[in-house]
Amino acid sequence: MSRTTTYTTEIPNAPEDHRPAEILSELEYGKLTSKNYLYESRHPVGEALPTPIDDEPPYIIYIATYISYLILIIIGHIRDFFGKIFKPRDYQDLVEKDGYAPWEDGFESFYVRRLKLRIDDCFARPIHGAPGRYIKCFNRVREGKVGYLYDGTSNECLNLSSYNYLGFAQSQGVCTDFALKCVDERGTSCCSPRSIAGTTDLHQECERVIAEFVGKEDAIIVSQGYGTNANLFSSLADAKTLVISDELNHASIRFGIRLSGASVKVFKHNDMKDLEKLIRNQIAQGQPKTHRPWKKIIIAVEGLYSMEGNLCNLPKLVEIKDKYKCYLFVDEAHSIGALGPHGKGICDYFSLDPARVDLLMGTFTKSFGATGGYIAGDKALIEKLRVNYITQAYSEGVPPPVLGQIVSSLKVINGSLNPGEGEERLKRIAFNSRYLRLGLKKLGFIVYGADDSPVIPVLLFLPAKMPSISRMLYSSKIAVVIVSYPATPLISGRARLCVSAALTKEDLDYVLKQFSVVGDMIYLKFSSGIAGGSKIAGVPPRWSIEDVLASNVLDCKQPKLGYTFSSDSQDSGEKLD
Amino acid sequence: MSSVVFTTTTTTTTTTTTTTLPPTWDLVGATLSDNFAHYLDLLGRVPGGQIVLRYIRSSYKNDPIRSLFELALFIFALNYFLSSKKKENKSDLIKFSDREIDDLVDEWVPEPLVEDLTPLERWQLNSIPTIKGKNGSHVIINDKPVVNLASSDFLNLNENQNVKEAAKSSISSAGVGACGPPNFYGTQDVHVRLEEDIAKYLDGEQSILYGQDFVTAGSVIAAFLKRGDLCVVDSGVNLAIQKALIVSRCDIEWYNHNDVDHLEKILVELKPGLDKQKPIRRRFIVTEALFASTGDICTLPKIVELKNKYKYRLFLDESLSIGVLGGTGKGVVEHYGIPRSEIAITIGSMALSFASSGGFCVGVEPMVHHQRIQSNAYVFSASLPPYSAKVASQSIREITSNLNSLGRSQLVQTLHDKTLFVYEALTAASKKSPYFEVISSPHSPIVHLSLKAEYRSQLNLPALYGNTTFLAKGKPAKLLNEFDDFYNIESFVLQKVIDFVLLQSNILVSRSKNIIEHENLPLLNPHLLVYVNNGVSKDELTRATQILPVAFAEVLKNVKNEDTLFDLTDDLVMYDEHYKQL
Repeated sequence: MSRTTTYTTEIPNAPEDHRPAEILSELEYGKLTSKNYLYESRHPVGEALPTPIDDEPPYIIYIATYISYLILIIIGHIRDFFGKIFKPRDYQDLVEKDGYAPWEDGFESFYVRRLKLRIDDCFARPIHGAPGRYIKCFNRVREGKVGYLYDGTSNECLNLSSYNYLGFAQSQGVCTDFALKCVDERGTSCCSPRSIAGTTDLHQECERVIAEFVGKEDAIIVSQGYGTNANLFSSLADAKTLVISDELNHASIRFGIRLSGASVKVFKHNDMKDLEKLIRNQIAQGQPKTHRPWKKIIIAVEGLYSMEGNLCNLPKLVEIKDKYKCYLFVDEAHSIGALGPHGKGICDYFSLDPARVDLLMGTFTKSFGATGGYIAGDKALIEKLRVNYITQAYSEGVPPPVLGQIVSSLKVINGSLNPGEGEERLKRIAFNSRYLRLGLKKLGFIVYGADDSPVIPVLLFLPAKMPSISRMLYSSKIAVVIVSYPATPLISGRARLCVSAALTKEDLDYVLKQFSVVGDMIYLKFSSGIAGGSKIAGVPPRWSIEDVLASNVLDCKQPKLGYTFSSDSQDSGEKLD
Repeated sequence: MSSVVFTTTTTTTTTTTTTTLPPTWDLVGATLSDNFAHYLDLLGRVPGGQIVLRYIRSSYKNDPIRSLFELALFIFALNYFLSSKKKENKSDLIKFSDREIDDLVDEWVPEPLVEDLTPLERWQLNSIPTIKGKNGSHVIINDKPVVNLASSDFLNLNENQNVKEAAKSSISSAGVGACGPPNFYGTQDVHVRLEEDIAKYLDGEQSILYGQDFVTAGSVIAAFLKRGDLCVVDSGVNLAIQKALIVSRCDIEWYNHNDVDHLEKILVELKPGLDKQKPIRRRFIVTEALFASTGDICTLPKIVELKNKYKYRLFLDESLSIGVLGGTGKGVVEHYGIPRSEIAITIGSMALSFASSGGFCVGVEPMVHHQRIQSNAYVFSASLPPYSAKVASQSIREITSNLNSLGRSQLVQTLHDKTLFVYEALTAASKKSPYFEVISSPHSPIVHLSLKAEYRSQLNLPALYGNTTFLAKGKPAKLLNEFDDFYNIESFVLQKVIDFVLLQSNILVSRSKNIIEHENLPLLNPHLLVYVNNGVSKDELTRATQILPVAFAEVLKNVKNEDTLFDLTDDLVMYDEHYKQL
């Protein structure tokens, strides 16, 4: 800011924050501003899950996207061509040297060097402090190819980027107190793999609490969510087992299945007809070549897909699994805590007995402000896993402060600690998710995903819009994540918003206002209205921001995020304000 | 090239056929060519058609068969490109009607998701000790104070007040979880600081953090080794590396465990083939520093010499050796006095000596940078909790700040002394015992005790368990290893020793708990493991070294041969009740 600013190449230490504790607490978890801003997330029993509608942009957008990538790739190759001639030093890591192959060759790294690196400032913004309602990002300027310069200041942004669904990313409160107590009493490390000497009474309590919470007989906890999936399938499946996996399953599930050596078949995302057809054929055909019947078939799906915001069609999946005698694995990494009237995840949301799902997996990172994962299932299954699960014998156990955070946050959610607080958090995330999603739809953005999902992907398509939306929102103090290939298909780059219970309705209004401005500026309001949000059926929704804010509280509480809105609801919305 | 060959063969056939044609052929040919000319004319009017026409005219040259042949080739090529790969597999499929499929579905009886624990396995579940309250050098088990010689917190930093304060200060400012992957707002100042600290501590250029130690190897190796790359691997590596190699699908050559002569022989054999390779593929030598399965140390100086001579990069797993080997705990590299720059990739764990959690990888800048986008467990997983990062930084400070007059870390020196003490005491005791021997290196803080080879052969126990498919073929066995009665009973014998020691002296020791089903390499016999740590006094260590030989003698006094060994099966099945009485 001033001329005397000194820049460093190293990330500065977090500056001391001298604001009063109440203000800091408010910045991590905003107080509820009105009882009106609550909602209970639950799927009406017996009603079929609406097929998620992925709105399509005008053709011109698709064409422009392809042309954009073509131009980027051509420019990239031109730069590579001349760069190799005139700046060989920049390319020394990409060519053979002294008889050693390069770490990565130019072709492998082309996408990263020539596309991702252009917008590198939008990724991995270093932060400090708890990533709660606000997130503090260090200010930095680009220096050279991959370096940055820091001036020691930071930008406090509204946080729509962190996985903090229930707002437990806090540095004060009962959960933090409990975690601190665990450090004092038990230290910082688990000290040993679980089956050697790493099992303490707190581990057992944590497993009991989580099993009770998700409604299973027993549970087993692992120190990392990725590691939970990556090693699980080796204990369940071998080459004579078929695993049927949704095409958009998380990398950890795919890695785990590959490691187990099981046969894999992939079905179209959330397409239950395709799944059933696949299962029927596979049971009939049996194993390849030998045509012997499969030993068992495991269906692996996620409860809530983190890039699409779609829910799995659990009622139908359970029906199929029962009919065809398969086993069902549901990864609740994003849905546990975030969905259902009691926060118990996808089964709770669909009012289904958890006993009907064989394996419930989840993580503690997203809703509970901790880290790690769990597998919940029948007692016999979990007992077997305690002896036969790779992470139990070879990998570190869960450290005490993390256990403290998990146990205390679960107790807050189920009401045994600070009664009422857990319920409020659950109802706030449900309201906030619907409020923001509907608001964006009304403004005319293409938004994917289910109505109740706290993951809200806003489609951008053009690669150039990714950095522009990220930078513009960042300068208006909103932090969002932009995602593109390889996490999504090449053409459907998106900004992903993760809603949190820590945000207030006023925060979301600010987000909507800023989105509206940015959306106008870089042409993002191109939805057709088939996914909802229209004032009049069939007309693309292009509400003014004032109209949206006036009507949205009531509209978003409609059981189905109205695909058309009657003028009544709009009127009553205006009356409310 | 190929088309030239084809045309020459066809011209020879045409000369023979035209001579034997009947006269009517001329008539048919004339009408055909009339029609044909008409279509060619049409083609000429299509944009670009003139080029095709010119080609056909120049290739025709009064040779209709040649043109037909080319047309057939064209149709074949078109058909080949348009037919999807899936179609080819269809020949393998049997067609069923819907009703037949329904019947098959009704008929199909799947196996259970997992087999229940059998009476022969259940004891393993019950033999996992449960600690009440804090874990550390002294713990409470079954309401009794117990000396813990099974903890991997070798430097006892889990009980260090500075480390705890570091954790608490971080939790009070940043909470517990990181709430996001490193590339999406999950990187905090403390993470970057730790990466710098680790790089500085281990004399590397840069480092990168992982959320769990076990996934580190699997993710790092898979980021660099792809199909067609080569690695030469020690055949005693741990499970994490085994799985990593399987996932990477690279070519694997195995050398005998810690046998550098064998390694050299393989490198020499491979050289002629590799010299011709163009372009050069990535090649690695992969080894552990301090082996988890045997407790011995890799012969690093010779390996470094060989890898430089034959131009391989070295992947070194220092999970167990960081904080343990060398004067300031910098691992096997410091132990042998070799610069870290010789090691292309070093991975390690922060869950052991650093009293934190997670893993890390150290090396040159392009190598680390590549992982930030291409390494699965880094990209697709939440960051390490910020407090863990701060704890690890503090632990490094604790190790390096308190040096003695020789420039060696006090903490590490204490561990060395205690380790050597236990090693020597147990080695001396083993010479008098017919039952056990020490097989680990004197520097390994995990002291491995194995049943003596002669005694094992007397009991008819096999030299190795598991399977050799991965070693022999370079591809892992398709099915998991079966449950092994011998492995089970041998483990149980060691468990009885552990229980005896716990009951008699209130000392907890452990045994190797490898899961035989998942091991892809031949598995060594189970070992009794004594985890030395700084928090345990010399007196307590003395007590442990005295009771262990007694325990072996007591447990094995009636075990003389295979039959008497399996007499213990009753005991094993009843273990649950037995354990409750403890």
